[in-house]
Amino acid sequence: MEFNIAKSINLHDVVCPMNFVKTKVELESINPGEILEIFLDEGEAMLNVPRSLKEEGHKILKVIPIDGMYKIIVEKK
Amino acid sequence: MDPAELKKIGIIQQKQKGLYAMRLRVVGGDLTALQLKEIARISEKYADGEVHLSTRQGVEIHNVKQADVAAAQKKFQQAGIEMGACGPRVRIIVACPGEATCRWGIVDTKGLAKKLDAEYFRKDTPHKFKISVTGCPHNCAKATENDIGVMGGILPKWEEKECTHCDLCVNVCPTKAICKEEGQYKLDVKKCIFCSICTALCPTSSWVVEKKGYSLFIGGTMGKTPRLGTRVADFIEDKNKLMKLTDNTIRFYREHGRKKERFGHLIDRMGEKKVIEEISDGV
Repeated sequence: MEFNIAKSINLHDVVCPMNFVKTKVELESINPGEILEIFLDEGEAMLNVPRSLKEEGHKILKVIPIDGMYKIIVEKK
Repeated sequence: MDPAELKKIGIIQQKQKGLYAMRLRVVGGDLTALQLKEIARISEKYADGEVHLSTRQGVEIHNVKQADVAAAQKKFQQAGIEMGACGPRVRIIVACPGEATCRWGIVDTKGLAKKLDAEYFRKDTPHKFKISVTGCPHNCAKATENDIGVMGGILPKWEEKECTHCDLCVNVCPTKAICKEEGQYKLDVKKCIFCSICTALCPTSSWVVEKKGYSLFIGGTMGKTPRLGTRVADFIEDKNKLMKLTDNTIRFYREHGRKKERFGHLIDRMGEKKVIEEISDGV
């Protein structure tokens, strides 16, 4: 599935809650309906960031595992 | 007073002659700020001004002189703090905060811990007997390391209606219990640990809670011969039903346990199947 990515952010080694803070900053810089691509480490980050995205109403479209990390495709609310 | 009688209520002779450690009855690690202040005052007056936190949420003051034990005990009593337990009996009930404050907490841990404390605290058993209540399978309160361990859990179920097939569930499940087959998400119940990560995280809430309740583990112990608890039952909704099982468990241990034999080692001696059958009888 191809997505029209507006912005991308690599959060490798960025711990909670800074990873979500940085995600929010990136989401601020795009328009509603546009797509942000987030690279997250497995473990704690994967438990917290998707949950926070859900709580704020953004839509996760796809999660793809890549070399011990995950690529999260998110549509801004 | 007789040292053996004192030990029963958590007043323990230290290796230093004439000095005692005083262990307090704390349920689920909860004390009020006022009680903490009172403990601090008592420690300053009768101990060495220090407070020791035990590995199982207990609060103790150490180095109390024999002559001061009764006075310190009276002060604790006046502050509404009871003495603890030591030796071959049911010890302090441990609990995590559970659903009261934790985002992962699935069940009420504090209420259950209070109920278990009221029912079993300091009850004599063949050897020490430890009970813990943990709110979810993250198992922060180490239910599987206690003679009786209670753990909250949910059984998830997938509903296709709103699902956008983003695959988050497949990727966050800690035991890889979720897979995708022919466009459908499937749960392998044998692999599922009932943790609620899928139901909590699913962006469209397509993973829903089908069953929810307490799981019971028996015979967990650490110490010199560690053994993890044996799973007895899952998704027990009714606290009274759970208490019937714990009643039976403690009765069984009291009937069949040998002196100084931990419950888990009794289970290994008699066989898991037989013990589970006996304690589940009529529940």
